[in-house]
Amino acid sequence: MAGIWLDVLDEIARTCHEHGRGDLLQAVRQRRAQLLDPSLRVLVVGEPNQGKSQLINAIVNAPVCPVGDGSTTVLPTVLRHADVAAATVVQAPPPAPGRPAGPAVTATVERTPVPLNEIAAGVAGSYGRLPGGGPAYVEIGLPRALLGAGLVLVDTPGTDEVALLNGAAAPNRADAVLLVSDSTRDLSVAELNMLLHLTRSHPNVAVVQTKTDLVPDWRAVAERNRRHLAEAAVPAALIPVSATLRLRAATADDHALNAESGFPALIARLRRDLAGKADVLARASVGMTARTVVEQLAAPLRAELESQAAEEQSGPISRLHAAQREVDELRRCSTRWQNTLADEMGDLLSDLEYDLRDRTRQILRMVDEAFDTADPLVAWDTFQEWLARSLTEAAEANHEWLVQRCDWAARRVAGNFARYGYDVLPPWSMTVPEDLADRLPELERPNIDRFTASQKVITGMKGSYGGLLMFGLAMTLAGMPMINPVSIGAGALFGGKSIRDESRQLLRRRQATVKTAIQRHVDDFFIRVNKDCRDTVRQVQRLLRDHFTVLTEELQEAIVQSFRTAKQAADTDAAVRDQRQREIRAKITRLAALYEQAQQLSVARPAPATLGRRA
Amino acid sequence: MTVGLRLDEAVWGLLHQALELYRDNPRATGHLRRQLARLEQPLRIAIAGPWRSGKSTMLNALMGEEVAPVDGADGSGAFTWYEDGAQPHATAYSTSQPPQELAIGKSPTGMRVDLVGWRAGELRDIVVRWPTRALRQVTLIDTPAITGVDEHGRTPVMDRVLRDADAVVYLTRDGRGSDLRALESGRESAVGQAAPVNVIVVRSRVDETGGGRIDALLTARQLARRQHRDPRVTALCVHVVACSGLVGLAGRVLSESDFGALAQVARVPRAALEPFLLSADRFVRDELPVEVAGGTRAALLDRLGLFGVRLATTLVRTGCDSRVALSAELIRRSGLGELRELVSRFFVDRRDTLKARSALAAVEAVLRADPTHGSGELLGAVEQILAGAHEFQELRLLAALRDGGLGFDAELAREARRLVGGDGVGLDARLGVEHDASVQRLWEAASQAQWRWRERAEDPLLRLPQRRGAQVVVRSCEGMLAELAEGGR
Repeated sequence: MAGIWLDVLDEIARTCHEHGRGDLLQAVRQRRAQLLDPSLRVLVVGEPNQGKSQLINAIVNAPVCPVGDGSTTVLPTVLRHADVAAATVVQAPPPAPGRPAGPAVTATVERTPVPLNEIAAGVAGSYGRLPGGGPAYVEIGLPRALLGAGLVLVDTPGTDEVALLNGAAAPNRADAVLLVSDSTRDLSVAELNMLLHLTRSHPNVAVVQTKTDLVPDWRAVAERNRRHLAEAAVPAALIPVSATLRLRAATADDHALNAESGFPALIARLRRDLAGKADVLARASVGMTARTVVEQLAAPLRAELESQAAEEQSGPISRLHAAQREVDELRRCSTRWQNTLADEMGDLLSDLEYDLRDRTRQILRMVDEAFDTADPLVAWDTFQEWLARSLTEAAEANHEWLVQRCDWAARRVAGNFARYGYDVLPPWSMTVPEDLADRLPELERPNIDRFTASQKVITGMKGSYGGLLMFGLAMTLAGMPMINPVSIGAGALFGGKSIRDESRQLLRRRQATVKTAIQRHVDDFFIRVNKDCRDTVRQVQRLLRDHFTVLTEELQEAIVQSFRTAKQAADTDAAVRDQRQREIRAKITRLAALYEQAQQLSVARPAPATLGRRA
Repeated sequence: MTVGLRLDEAVWGLLHQALELYRDNPRATGHLRRQLARLEQPLRIAIAGPWRSGKSTMLNALMGEEVAPVDGADGSGAFTWYEDGAQPHATAYSTSQPPQELAIGKSPTGMRVDLVGWRAGELRDIVVRWPTRALRQVTLIDTPAITGVDEHGRTPVMDRVLRDADAVVYLTRDGRGSDLRALESGRESAVGQAAPVNVIVVRSRVDETGGGRIDALLTARQLARRQHRDPRVTALCVHVVACSGLVGLAGRVLSESDFGALAQVARVPRAALEPFLLSADRFVRDELPVEVAGGTRAALLDRLGLFGVRLATTLVRTGCDSRVALSAELIRRSGLGELRELVSRFFVDRRDTLKARSALAAVEAVLRADPTHGSGELLGAVEQILAGAHEFQELRLLAALRDGGLGFDAELAREARRLVGGDGVGLDARLGVEHDASVQRLWEAASQAQWRWRERAEDPLLRLPQRRGAQVVVRSCEGMLAELAEGGR
């Protein structure tokens, strides 16, 4: 029978080891050693002045533990069997840092024998204890059959807080706990809390209601106490006893009085626990241990699971999302800057062309106006100079504007990269070329007809001939000679007129020729300059495009790289987390199985247990 | 007795100043007016303590009649006030309903009030008027159990006790630290720190000490004395005594028939009686060799407790052969006599001081709760009064002298006690001269005492507490001289 719970306990120890919980392992090992130890360690706890020491005295029928009216028990007292009565103060050395407290250091404890008549001083902490030492307790050996059967009684200083019980009085080193409360009042809230605390970690807790001799209505108190226990859901039996009666019965050898004291029930219970320690008690204890251990092991795992769920919101996944957003953003940015560049350049071209055309038109208009009146023959040289200057100016102004606009457009495009910190312009130097004037087409002097003197004579002759003849013939009719003064005058008149007419006509023709020539020249100029501009603009556009494409590529490479890293990290992280979650789930499942196994031990086997006891 | 302004006058003036300051604040004004009225009312003594510490029994023992508990006072959360009145009368004050009169049933040794139809927690106060001499100068308050001390050591019940009562008899079964922590909440205010003269700690139910052995009361008294020397306890109270309320009450209400039954029991030889006194069960159940009916025995046990029965039979056997003698001895042994004397010496005789102290505390509480323009100056005035209040120091010295703690020899201790008013607060009582002594004689006695004690106060051979005590005595003498000088003018 022992084998099964031992197996479970070893399994628990193994689990503790797997989880790397040395502290729990230590506790489980201690529990194991304690369960294998055939003696039954009974811890007697309670508030001050409830009769704990007297209860122990009454159990062993000897005044071993000092009984007094103040708080007499200062050190825990361990009462065990010995062939000869003896007492020792056992004191651990002061707890040194870095050395684990526990059974490992028991070898170094200080043992001071105490004379039997000084036990009271020893228990009060004033004898045999070294100042500045560690936790101490008094060990008393007594030749008693009940103790010889393996019962160990531990008396504790009165307290209503479980936390104050430690060292020899630590509840986890005990097999059974008796909480002592006297009959003069019901269980107090502090006592009930203490019971709740104890029963949570301890399978065998009982309430001993002492001093029933003193109080007439102790039965009512016991009844109320049982009700309190039931209400608080404390699974502890209540045993009313009277130590006074028991001690009196022992001295008088009065069995009836002994029965009246209520002690037989208590001792029967202790004997039953002692006999059943290797079986019932051990199984219950293992079940309890399993529960505490599993709870303690599962709590961090559960917490980790929960925190992992929270972690998914942060960490690599979120970095991956950020990288993804960055990539998208870059793609949008790339389209945007390309559009900006195309639009800007288109606008630039049309604006520049318009500007140039406007300027040339103005020049042409001025040329027209000038040559409406001026004679190219006379004014050509000045005019040519003026024209060349105005055209150069126009070209320069146009070019300058081009430069400005290009610069501006480049900045607009670069503005798209501002959030990457890459809004640098390509290293260019676009200025108005110095030799702009030289590159302009040379204006050829147009071929202008001059009105030469011989031509004048011929024209005059032709005109005067007509006039002479016309008037001469008309005069002949009147009987006058054909050449007469009148006809000669008319001839001169006509001749002069035709010379003038001819001269004017020639002038017009000259003007028209010049205008046409200039128009052609300006057209040439326009085409040439415009071509230059377009070339420049295209060049700029190409330059900008190349520059920003390279920039975009660089950026993209960096971003994609980070995206890839993030993705990789997220993938590995998810994998690790999945792995960890599976591990945790598996661990929790294993813990649950272990727990189940341990509970099976204590719950599902009452029948064999009772059989075993009967046997 | 303060040189200059007397404590009660100073406090009266302070209350009026505070009323002036808070004239626009109806809540504070109401509070202060109640305090002003309380100066004229009887001293309020609250019996407080943890659960099942024997508060109602102790109150009955102090009154000498069985009037408490008013049914369920321990659990209902209501304060029960016992006041003097011409006719027995009880009124219930609840949080939600108008005051309601309660029916009173008389019993041979007291009365019983029925609380029918009240839910727990609904009642706030029950005021019982009861014609008795014990209530002529004091109002006794039975309080609910003090439970659930929070991390600051505060409980609502103790807060109310400290607010409503002028003096507290604080019961504790074994004087453990968790019980006394509730008292520490009284030390938060300046008044509480300067003058913890309003608390007597009583180790109650001491008949149960050591399982009810016959010497239980003696050991309990020793424990109380030891505790009184603990500085932590001394800072909280003026004295620690052990008292068994049950035995004391039994002594006060012991009837002839009770005595008869006890005498009958005591007639059984000691060895033969002993087995029957082993346990309560045995005393009631087993047939005694004498004719005492089972019901009577149960009543005796109920009245005296097992220890009381043991003690009473022993006393009867050893010479207390009349009801009066037995009753006096029971009262003496139970510690009730000492407690009553302490109450009368420290509380009733000094009621003006204690009421002034309550008023000071109340003013301080109001000032701290509602700081306004000018409250800082009044707080200063509170501290000034506290610093000058010699009465508190006299009380402390008196308590120290009672215990022999200062180490003066008996003669000196007696003189010091007399001078600081331990035998009565009149000039003649203090100076130990005949009642109708002339002013000249009083003056001489006072100035001689002053010189003697001044020397002691400056004697380097004496220990520091002794010199401090002597200084207090000197101050008392100076106060008397000042009073004489005033009266002589």
